[in-house]
Order: sequence, then C-alpha cells, then structure tokens
Amino acid sequence: MSEKPESYEAAVERLEQIIDRLDSGQAGLRETLELCGEGRDLVTYCTAELDAVGEGLKELKLDELAANLAASTEAGGA
Amino acid sequence: MGETLEPDHIAVRAPQLPGPFAVGRYARKLQEEMRRRARVLLIGEVTGVGRSKVQAYFELRDGEGAVPCVIWLDDLEKAGLPEGSLRDGAEVVIAGGPDYYPGGGQASPSFSFRATHVRLAGEGDLLARLEALRKQLKAEGLFQLQGQLRRPALPKTIGVVTAESGAARRDLLAGLERRGWGGTVVWAFAPVQDRHAAPAITAAIQDLAAQPQVEAIVVTRGGGSLADLWAFCDETLCRTVAMLRVPVVSAVGHERDSTLIDDVAAIACSTPTHAAEAAVPLDCGTARLGLERAAAVLSRAAEGAVRARTPHLVALARGPARALRRERLALNQKTREIRAASERGIAGRLGFQRRVAGVVLERAARRAAGAEMERRRAALHRAEVALRAHEPERTLERGYALVEDRQGEPVTDVSAASAAERVKLRFADGTVGARIEENR
Repeated sequence: MSEKPESYEAAVERLEQIIDRLDSGQAGLRETLELCGEGRDLVTYCTAELDAVGEGLKELKLDELAANLAASTEAGGA
Repeated sequence: MGETLEPDHIAVRAPQLPGPFAVGRYARKLQEEMRRRARVLLIGEVTGVGRSKVQAYFELRDGEGAVPCVIWLDDLEKAGLPEGSLRDGAEVVIAGGPDYYPGGGQASPSFSFRATHVRLAGEGDLLARLEALRKQLKAEGLFQLQGQLRRPALPKTIGVVTAESGAARRDLLAGLERRGWGGTVVWAFAPVQDRHAAPAITAAIQDLAAQPQVEAIVVTRGGGSLADLWAFCDETLCRTVAMLRVPVVSAVGHERDSTLIDDVAAIACSTPTHAAEAAVPLDCGTARLGLERAAAVLSRAAEGAVRARTPHLVALARGPARALRRERLALNQKTREIRAASERGIAGRLGFQRRVAGVVLERAARRAAGAEMERRRAALHRAEVALRAHEPERTLERGYALVEDRQGEPVTDVSAASAAERVKLRFADGTVGARIEENR
C-alpha cells in the first residue's frame, strides 16, 4: 500500500471514488489497472479494521484500562 | 540599592472616615439593614441539612455559589413538605430575605437567608432554570464545539459513563452487539441521580477522555422526571463535555432536549440502543458485505479492461504481418512484371547484339592480331558478361522460380494461377509440377 489511509471512512470514501471512476468507463487501461491495485489495498485495509473489532466485545473498567496502560508503558520503558 | 524600607510597626495613617462606632451597635444596625432588603424566591439544591430545637438550617447552592439558610421549625411545618423531603440533594424553592444575627456575649454572629416558606421545586421551576442556563451556554458558543469533532465510523474503544446496575448498560451492550461490533467497552460507573452524581459523572468523563485509546464516550441513563435527570443539566458537567476533544454521545432519559448535556454533546440520542448506533456509526456486517462487493467490482474491472482491449491489441499485433504480406505480394508482382518485360526485351536485343557481335568479330578477324585486337576482345567479353546477366536463367540461379502453365506460358498473377490449376515451377536446375490448392 502506497500510503495508509487516514481512517476507515477516508478509505471507504476513496474506494467509492475509485468504483465511480471505473463505472464511468472513462479510465484507460493503465489508469484502470492502477485504480484496481489501489482499490484492492483499500479493501485489505478496511477488512483489517473490521477484523480488529470482529473478535467479540471486550469489557474493561476504567481503572483496569489505566492499569493496562501503565503496565505497557513500564514494559516499553524497561 | 539605597532604598530605605519603613519598619513594619509604623502604621499607615488611617483614612478620614466616620466613627469609630461601638461594634455591637454597628452589628444591630447591620441586622436592620439586612432585614430591610427585598424578600425574594431562591431556587437551588439543599445540602448540609441540620436541625436545632427551634429551627432547621441548610445550604442552598448551585454551580455558581451558595447561601446559608435557616427556617423556623414552625414555618417548616406550615410549609407542609412531605416527611423527609428537606434532604440533601433536594431541589427546593424558598421564600425569604437576608438576615444577620449580631451574636451576643458568647454567641457568634452569622449571616443567613431567613426562609419563611419552602417548597420542592417543580418541573416548571427546573425548566426555567434550565432555560436560563441553556441560553447562557448557547451564547458562549458551547453548543457547537462537540458537533465539530470528527466521530470515527469504526472506533476500536469506546468509554461509557452510566450506573453500574441499570437497564441502560444492558441496552447499550445489546445495541453494540447488534451492530456486529466487537471492540472494547471501557466502563466508568457513576451515580446518576443524587447530589454526588454531577461531579462523579464529570470526573468519569474527564478520566475516560484522558485515555488515548478511547475514541468516543457515551453518557447514558434510563428515563425519569426532570428532577431525576437534573445531574445531567449541571453547568460544570455540561461545560466539561462541551470542551472535550473526544466526541460525547448522550442518551439520558427518553425525552429529547430535556437535559442540557444533550445540547452540548456531539450527538443526543433518545435511548441507549440509539447511543450504541451513534457511537459506532458503521454496521460491521453491512460494511463487510460492501467490501466484498467492492472487491468483486475491482476484480471485474481489472479483468474486463484487459479482455475488452484484447481484440484491439491482437489486431494491432497482426498489423505489421499483414502489411508485410501485402508488400511482399506487391514486390512479387513487380518482380514478375520486370521478368516478363526483361524476357521480351532480351529476345529482341539478343538478335541485334548477335548481329553486331558477328560484324565486330568479322572486323576483328580481318584486322588480325595486335594490341587493338586484344583491347576489342576484352570489350567484347565484358559485353557478353553483361548480356548473360540479363538472361532469365541467372535470375533462377539466385533462387527465384518461374511459374508456367502446361503450355509453358508464364503465369504472372493469382487469377491466372487459379485458372491453370496445375502449373510448372521452373528452377535453375529443372522443373517440377505443382497444384494450385487455395486462392487467398
């Protein structure tokens, strides 16, 4: 992927632009193949984002989150 | 430095004012002044209720300040409040005016608001207060701030402020699961209905917003009267929400626009279920289907683009070969024409040249030997070589073949070849038969 999208919604917006352009039939062969490559990268990114929230809802209390954060900060600093 | 500082004990000269008066007399005068002030109605929240033998005392406060209040127990009884309703957290309206107790030999002086009547604040009182606060916050531009924040379509972590035991918590979870969302919910539990609620909710929201993972915050509780939901109209709480950099979704009660937090939040919802949809705007199941469709469109587009252009590319690839064949046919035709013309011309020229050669040779024989004879013989040899170069046999020796029909006539074009059906191919070293099979 040339550049990571700013957000899921930015990726989807660009993907829709690409599909609109392809649907218009105005893109030449080279542009079509480039757009398809970029579009596939965006689909891969969006799928990964969905997978990140696709493994079942997790619940934490605020103090647990804060403790986890402190532990990971310590581990990172060690 | 050189500056001279005055010693502390040198008193600054007292300003020229009336007095000095005896303080006891001044205190009584102050009491008279206070009691002359206009009587008014005050509304606020009761805190720190206490009783002596003859009167009840408490503080009446809101987000901006407080006033110490007292009421004679007789007056309190006449007010006819339900038993135990003058308690901490109660919203009340009191009638009265300021008073000052000058104290005595042993008793300390004190200021208080002397209430002569008290009633619980009704919906109308609260709405009037709410409206005033709403106007103020709106005028300060606090209603727009949250609305300008970006709300992520697919947050991975959301914070939730609600009561630990309550239907709102369950409904919110159900709403998130219906979204197909399996991220992380961070709970910050807080009381949602007493005088401790507003500060606790404010602190919980601030704590959640301080966590970098938290991308949106939901504040929710079930329905109730405006008095029940009053914590969510707290000025400090609402100012805090308005200034946060994390979007807040409010879902308090069931009535739209009934609490002030709805006005300052990024988005206000009528139920916890709607709040789940607002916190995670993307339906994950639908999004997956959309991505699958997009992937299929991209594959079709890529394959289709190549397939659609294949015939054109093939045609382009065949172009040079076709042009070459055309040129080759034209060249062959020219060759045949030249050969035919050459054969016709050679026969004529050969007879003439032979006659010339005979005359020349005769003259040469007559002149007998000598240098002239030698030179002329050399010239004659060159002429003979040049003549031979034009003979058809030389052409055949270079790899060309002459096509002739059965009668030995040259076949010079395709139609003649098709008509002949069987032809002879004459090479330099002999002739072979051939059959015309196809006319392209």
